[in-house]
Order: sequence, then C-alpha cells, then structure tokens
Amino acid sequence: MKVKILNWHAVASWTWDAQDEACGICRMAFDGCCPDCKFPGDDCPLVWGACNHSFHLHCILKWVNSQNSQTSQPHCPMCRREWQFKA
Amino acid sequence: MSSDLGILDSLGDEAIGDILQSWSGFCACTQALVDGRGDLSVGPDLVPLVATLCRHGLASLVRDHFLHALEETFKKNAVFKFWQQLHAYYDAQTLAVSKLHSQEGWPEEILNKSLEEICSEKGYLEKCLLILIHAFQSCEESISAEKVNLEQYGSNLIYRYQLMVSSVLLTTLPRHFPEMLRFYFKKKLEQLSTLMAEDYEDGNRFQIDDQKSKSNLASGEMDVDGSNRETIFSKNTSLVKNIGAVVRDLRSLGFTSLTEDAYASAIFSLLKAKVHNLAGDDYRAPVLGSIKEWIQAVPLQFLHALLAYLGDSFDYDSMSSGLKSPLASRPSCYPGIDSPSEGLVRWQLRLEYFAYETLQDLRIGKLFEIIVDYPDSYPAIQDLKQCLEYTGQHSKLVDSFISSLRYRLLTAGASTYDILHQYMSTIKALRIIDPTGVFLEAVGEPIRDYLRGRKDTIKCIVTMLTDGPGGNPSGPGNAGDSLLEELNRDAENQESTDYDDDINSDDKQAWINAERWEPDPVEADPLKGSRNRRKIDILGMMVSIIGSKDQLVNEYRVMLAEKLLNKSDYDIDSEIRTLELLKIHFGESSMQKCEIMLNDLIDSKRTNANIKASLPQPSLSGSEQGETDISLHILDATIISSNFWPPIQAESLNIPASVDQLLCDYAKRFHEIKTPRKLLWKKNLGTVKLELQFEDRNMQFTVTPVHAAIIMQFQEQTSWTSKNLAAATGMPVDTLNRRINFWISKGILAESAGSDSDDHVFTIVDDVNNNGLIHGSSEGLLAADEEGERSVASVEEQLRKEMTVYEKFIIGMLTNFGSMTLDRIHNTLKMFCVAEPSYDKSLQQLQSFLTGLITEEKLEMRDGLYFLKK
Repeated sequence: MKVKILNWHAVASWTWDAQDEACGICRMAFDGCCPDCKFPGDDCPLVWGACNHSFHLHCILKWVNSQNSQTSQPHCPMCRREWQFKA
Repeated sequence: MSSDLGILDSLGDEAIGDILQSWSGFCACTQALVDGRGDLSVGPDLVPLVATLCRHGLASLVRDHFLHALEETFKKNAVFKFWQQLHAYYDAQTLAVSKLHSQEGWPEEILNKSLEEICSEKGYLEKCLLILIHAFQSCEESISAEKVNLEQYGSNLIYRYQLMVSSVLLTTLPRHFPEMLRFYFKKKLEQLSTLMAEDYEDGNRFQIDDQKSKSNLASGEMDVDGSNRETIFSKNTSLVKNIGAVVRDLRSLGFTSLTEDAYASAIFSLLKAKVHNLAGDDYRAPVLGSIKEWIQAVPLQFLHALLAYLGDSFDYDSMSSGLKSPLASRPSCYPGIDSPSEGLVRWQLRLEYFAYETLQDLRIGKLFEIIVDYPDSYPAIQDLKQCLEYTGQHSKLVDSFISSLRYRLLTAGASTYDILHQYMSTIKALRIIDPTGVFLEAVGEPIRDYLRGRKDTIKCIVTMLTDGPGGNPSGPGNAGDSLLEELNRDAENQESTDYDDDINSDDKQAWINAERWEPDPVEADPLKGSRNRRKIDILGMMVSIIGSKDQLVNEYRVMLAEKLLNKSDYDIDSEIRTLELLKIHFGESSMQKCEIMLNDLIDSKRTNANIKASLPQPSLSGSEQGETDISLHILDATIISSNFWPPIQAESLNIPASVDQLLCDYAKRFHEIKTPRKLLWKKNLGTVKLELQFEDRNMQFTVTPVHAAIIMQFQEQTSWTSKNLAAATGMPVDTLNRRINFWISKGILAESAGSDSDDHVFTIVDDVNNNGLIHGSSEGLLAADEEGERSVASVEEQLRKEMTVYEKFIIGMLTNFGSMTLDRIHNTLKMFCVAEPSYDKSLQQLQSFLTGLITEEKLEMRDGLYFLKK
C-alpha cells in the first residue's frame, strides 16, 4: 500500500524571533500588539536597536519623538545607550 | 275579629238560611261551570248568588272556594294528563336514547300537543275566573256607588290564579322535564342551523352580505338587519313559529325561567360544538370571523325571531327598565327591523363573550402545539389575542402554558436545541399577543431557569447563532437559521433606532412618544422596571439566559477557533458575516479577538500564496514521475497569532520525515518573507487529504495529521505492534489505540491480539474480499469529531485553569475565617484580588469551581457554607 498525500493543511503559530517576551515600553507581549494597534503581526512590527533591544515599532517611535523634543539624542529605554535603529 | 263576631250575633235565622242557600247554589254553580267543558251558560246564574254572599261579607270565602275548585279541576283534568303524555315518552327514552335521534318526529309533536291541551284547559279555567270576576264586579257596583278599583281586584285574582297554576305544575314536575326541554331546543336549533347552513352554501349572493355583516361588526353595530337574510328566514319561519309557540305556552304555564335556561343552554352547547368544530386542531386559518358570522347567522336570528314572536321580550324590558344599562343608549336605528330589542343586544354580547371564552380556552389548552408550529400558526395566535382582549384572562394563559411547558418541554428528554427553539417561538408568539412583554416575562422565567441548569446551553445558542440552515442535524433545521436571521434583523433595527434617536432630539417627537405611553398591564410585576420590558429582543433574552455576554463571546471564540482550524481552504465569508453581525450586537471590543482570528486566516491565505509564488514552478513532467516525493505545493498552512486564540491543545506527534522536511522548508521560506518572525508548527492540527493506493483500488480520505501519520507508517511495514507504532509516531500508547480505531472502522487496518496482553498488532488489510462496506464510506470524511477530541481547549477547561490562581486565596480565606458562604467568598475575592490577574469571574463560575474543589476533597460544604476539609 502506498499513501499519496494530496494536500496537507497544517497549522502553525508565528512568533517574533526576539530574545524577550514582552515589549519593555508597553509591557505587552511581542506576539500581541502595542496598545494603539488592533492587529498583531504586520500591522504592529518590532524593531531592533543597535543595542539589540527590541520594542514595538510604535512604542519606540513614541519614545524617540518625546526624547527628541527634550534632548537632541534619544536613548534606548533599557540600556541608556544612544538609540539607533539596527540596519 | 270582634266586629265579625258582632255580625254573627246580629244574623237572624232568615239571614243564615239565605246564606246557606246561596252558598250551596254557588258551590253547585261553580262545579257546573268548572266541569262544564266549555259550557259557560251557567255563568249568569252565578251573579246573584255571589252578590248575596258578598252582601254578607263572604267575598273572600267565595274567592278561595272558587280558586280551590279551579285548582282541583286543573290538577285532575290537565296536569295529570300532561305529565302522563310526557312520561310515556320518557320511559321509552330511557330505554333507547339512540332511537330518539332516528325518531325525528317525537318530542316536538308530543310536547306541542300536550302543551296546547294544557294551555287550552288553562285558558278555559281562566275564562271561568273571569266570569267570577265579572260577578264580583257587578255586585260591587250594585252595593256601593263608590268605584272600587276593579282592575286591581281582577288582576289580583288572575295573579293568584297564575301562581296557582305554576305552583301546581312545579310541585308535580318530574325530574327529567328540564332535560327534556333542553333536548327539545337543542334538536330544534340543530335543525335550524342545518337549514341555515344549506342556505349559506347554496348562494354566493351571501358573500356580499357577509362582507356587509363584517363591516357592521367592525363598527360595533349589530347585524340584525337581514334584508337579505329575511329571504332565508322565511323558510324557517314555520320552524321558529313552532318553537315560539312552545316557548309561549311554557311561559304561560309559568315555566319562564325554566324555558329560558333550556334554550340558553341549548344555544350555548350548540355554539360550543360549533367553535370546537370550526377551530379544531388546525391553526393555520383564523376562525374568529367565521364564528362571529355564525353567531349572526344562526343563534341570533333564531333569538330575534323568537323574541319577536313572543311580542318582543317583555321580561327583558321590565328587567332593564330598573337598571339602565349602557346598551340602552345605543342608537336604535336598525333598518329592516323596528328596533333590535335590548334583549337581543344582550344576547349577542353574551354569545360573543361565550364564543371568545370557548375559543380562548381551546387555544390556551393547545398553546404548546400552536407555538411548536409557530410561523404557520400565526392566525391562531391572532385569534387568541383577540379573545384575550375581550376576556382578559391572561393569567389563565400564563398558568396553563407554564404547566404544559413543565410537563412537556422542560424535561430531561428534550434536547437543548428543541427547548431553545421553542423558547424562541414562544417569544415571537407572545410578542404578538402581548407587545408589552409582561406575560412573556412570566412564561419565560421557568424556561430560562431550566436552561441555566443545562451545561450545553451556551454551546447550543452559539451554534444557533453561527450555523446557517441545516447546521445542526440533531436540532430542528431552521433553528440556527432563525437566530441568525434574528441577528440580521437586529442589525437592521439598530440602524433604524439610531435614526430614531436623531429625531428624538426634536421636542415634538418626544411629545408624541410621551403621548403614546401606556401603563403596564395590571399583572405586571412592579418590582421589575417597565423600561427594560419595552424592548423585547430575542437575542437579548437569549443572552440573559447565559448571564453575561462575555461567556457567550468566549464560547463563540472557542467554537470559531475549532471551525477555523479544521478548514482546509481559506473560505471564511460566512464567518466574517456572522462576526460583523455579532459586532453590532455585542460591541466591537468584545469581538476583537475573534476579529484577529479571522484576520489571521486572511493573512495566512496571502502568505501562503506568497510562499507558493516564490517556489520554482515544478515542471509538469517532474510532478508526474516523482510520485513518491512530495513538493511544497501540496502544503498549505494556517498561521495564527497564538496570543489571541483560545489555548490550543498540544499533542506530541512525530509526523513522517518527508512531511516534516516540507514543514521545515515552509517555515524557512516564511522566515525569509517575514524576516524577524518564525513559525512554530502545531503538528497535530490541520487536515490532510490523502489517497491510499492499493493494488486494485484507490481510496481518498480527509483526516487529521495524527491519522495520516499513523497510516503512513504502514507504507514501509504492513504490520505494527501498538508499542512500536506509538514510539514511531511519538504519541502515548493509549492515544494511539484510540486514534487508530478510525482506520480499523474504515476497514483499512485489522487489529489482532499480540504476544503481550496489552500489546496489539495492527495489520494492513490488503485483500479485496472484505471491503464490501468500505466503498460506501470511503468518501472523504472528516474524522476530527471523535469522542471528545478537540483541537481547542473547551471553555470549562480554560476556566479551570484560570481559577486555580485563586485556589490559594480561597484556602487561605477559609483557614482564617473557618467557614464562608459563596457570596462572601465571591465578594472577598473581588475586593482583594485587584492586582494582576484581577478577579473577574461570575458567581456561577466560582460556584462550579468550588464544586470542583469539593470533589477533589479539598473543601466541604454544609448548609451553604464552605469549610476546609480536615
């Protein structure tokens, strides 16, 4: 007897390949979304800084903007290093 | 008395002789007159004798004697014979009741004849009495010029005579007489109504007439007009006259009330029979109209003729003269007939009320059945509504319906779907009868209470919400449909009410609304506000069974997850539609997670297409030759955002290496496309469509990955022991034994006892002989729904998991306080567990959790108090 697979419909869950579980700013899970978003995933992506810390894009942007208005140089909220987006 | 004695003393011998002579003359004369058999010639002789006796002041004696003579004669001549005649019949009747019905002629003739005889006898005696009165009259005139009011004198005597006649008859009345009368009237009425019915049928001309009568009814007037009807009626006049004569005779004998009772009860029983006959068990047609028509056509016509024949209802007029009824003020301009007597109007009202009540009782008794076939039985419900408006016996409806619900629906044998369906029909039907919803509240309470006790209520409601027609084979086919429909309609209403609200800002509209206000019916429970009663929305009532919408939403989410995970395509149009409707009803935020789930499916479809597009197109020839290897093209994936899905039951499973390789490839490609994201496979979930290729046949199946993994192991090796197979597929032995049943039931594998007692051997069935039943069932069946096998953790399991956090709190509380009630535990948890995770469970949820702890023997409960188990 042989088994021929005609179609295999599998189920998977996606996850961000980040070291941490939750965003350091909003404390929401990375696999969830930031408080301003409705849908996780593509709509609410993660970004990594040069220091290798990751945040929700929306969260870090808010942080960076508020830093910009006060000082000239934004810092990573976790390690206080200068914030730069990882290339 | 002393003066009388004085008179006695003053009487001389001569006077005494005179008196005695006159007396004996009077007696003889009376005898002759009374027995005279129509000969009134002795009459004039009476005058001087009476005059003499009167002169001596013996007038009262004369009267008494005369009446006594009349009574004796009446008894002797008439009464005995009268009863004799009827009695002869009655004996026969007791012997053979059935004979009567064939003997058409009987009671009418005998009753008529004997009544006539007795009446003529009575009439004759009355004439005798008149002679006496005349004698009195003349002697009074001769004695004194003073006019004694003779009329009164005479009528007094006549009255005494009447009284005498009726008392004689009543004292000798046989027991069966009223029954006989009733029977007589019933028979007559039946004759009449059949006559009427014949007439009714043989002319379309009455169609117009009916129309007219309906419009008359509508305007609250009576249709005694009958300009057309009179034509029918002329045929029946003789019949009615006949009856009229009987009634008149009976009345003159003093049987007025007896007669009336008899014909009233005959009419009512006929009406009742007619209502039962018309209404019957068919709820598809309105019957009230035709009943009303019938009342107009038969009993009222009969009564009208009867009353008219009797010289128009003297007793009614006399009765009503003292008590002016509101009917009296009715305009009395009825064409065709002089004026309908008040009696007739009364009769009409009585009859209609009786008809309403009868129909109402009939319908209330069958309300359960009526509601079962609700949309079809709409006319019956309308009828019932009208009846109740007249009779106002709503409480009867509530009581009887609740008891029939208890007896027939709220039993262990009824399926939850049936109960829910009936509940929905009840809501719809009672909404028609009583738009304020007061009675619905009373009726719905027991159903809701009962449903709360059922475990699968939420699930059933959700299924009804989500599944279209035929979604659930065990439930009535259209149940789910109608709730979904309700959801749909609700959405439309919502829009229109929004619109209304805008207008409401207008003062005018507010004023109109205020004027439209109506007080609640008296039966309303004042404890419950009337505001929330106004709006009867089915979905709201369904949710109120469950308690909170969160529970419903949760259950829906689990069900949706189950459904989505078992989809082999990405077609979710109907789910999206349902979700949109639910969003309108329950608010967007509570459906957020469900929306993400659907969004995942849409995204998966897109991603899947992207991954496929990045593949090198397989050359057609390549796919033909490489049957053994499988390309990425056969693989589809549903990629979920696991945080927003209900907890998914993970099960260990080793899938075949070739497929595993495919999954790795797929994941790699996904990682390439969505760079920082990666895939985690839930290997036990999904669906697999596969084809088993035997030497002589091919069979297609749609199965779960677990089943696919099992059967694929048999490619290399035709026989496995369960232990080895379990190790190869990476699942526990008992799970394997359970799952493999699917293939055994399909006849693909055979099970035999192995060397070890609990180690079975499974072998592939390769020969064709015993595949007789296989072909029939080999079409792709989804095998996911085996006993209790689900891909998503059920709501109860989730709840249990969530509640374990509080177990420590509860144990701690009970250690401190010793014993606590359910309420107190609930409140304490609410007060103190505010930090993450805050306590947000309902009382019922807590109770079921505590019950779980009791079965685990951690707690005890006595008299509503929870203790720690020592």
